[in-house]
Amino acid sequence: MSTAMNFGNKSFTPRPPDKGAFPLDHFGECSAFKERFMECLRHSGYESAACRQSAMAYLECRMDRQLMANEPLEKLGFKDLIKEKSEEKPEK
Amino acid sequence: VVPGETALAFYKAKNPTDKPIIGISTYNVVPFEAGQYFNKIQCFCFEEQRLNPQEEVDMPVFFYIDPEFAEDPKMAKVDLITLSYTFFEAKDGQKLPLPGYQ
Repeated sequence: MSTAMNFGNKSFTPRPPDKGAFPLDHFGECSAFKERFMECLRHSGYESAACRQSAMAYLECRMDRQLMANEPLEKLGFKDLIKEKSEEKPEK
Repeated sequence: VVPGETALAFYKAKNPTDKPIIGISTYNVVPFEAGQYFNKIQCFCFEEQRLNPQEEVDMPVFFYIDPEFAEDPKMAKVDLITLSYTFFEAKDGQKLPLPGYQ
C-alpha cells in the first residue's frame, strides 16, 4: 500500500524527520553494529526496550564515521544508559 | 516499542538493475490515527538517495511514539502500528510536495 485510502477528507500528510536524513552507509561501515542490534532484537522477541544499548552503539558508530550529525546521546533518549555508564560524570 | 522511548528500525533497499538509481522515499503509517503520534528523529527518507548498480543498503529509521499515544482513548485498542516506505525514482527537478520543508 503506497497511498492512504481513507473515507472523508482526511489525508495523510507525511512529515519530514526532526533531524533530517541519514546519509546511506554505502560501505557498510556500521553493518556489524546493525547486526548486533538485530541479533539482540531476535533474542529478546523484538522488544525494543531490551536493545537500547545496541541501538545506541549503532548510532555512535554512525556519528564516529560522519554518517550522522553529532548529537549528545542524552538528547537522543539514551540519558539513562549514559548515566549507567559513568556515574561520576557531572550532570549538566 | 514503549511510547516515549526512542527506537531504531531497519529497512533494506536493493537496486537490482545495472545502472545507478536515484530514489526518494516517502512513508505511510497505519492505522491512520496513529500517524500523528509517530515522530521520526532521523531517517533515510525525503532526500534523494543514490543506489549504485546491484547495491544493497541498510536504511535506518530512528523514531519514537509520542507518549500522549498512551493517553488517547482512541488508541486504546491499537497495539500494532505499521510503518511502510515507498521508493520512487527521482526525476530531475522533481521534489515531493512537503509544505514547510526546505
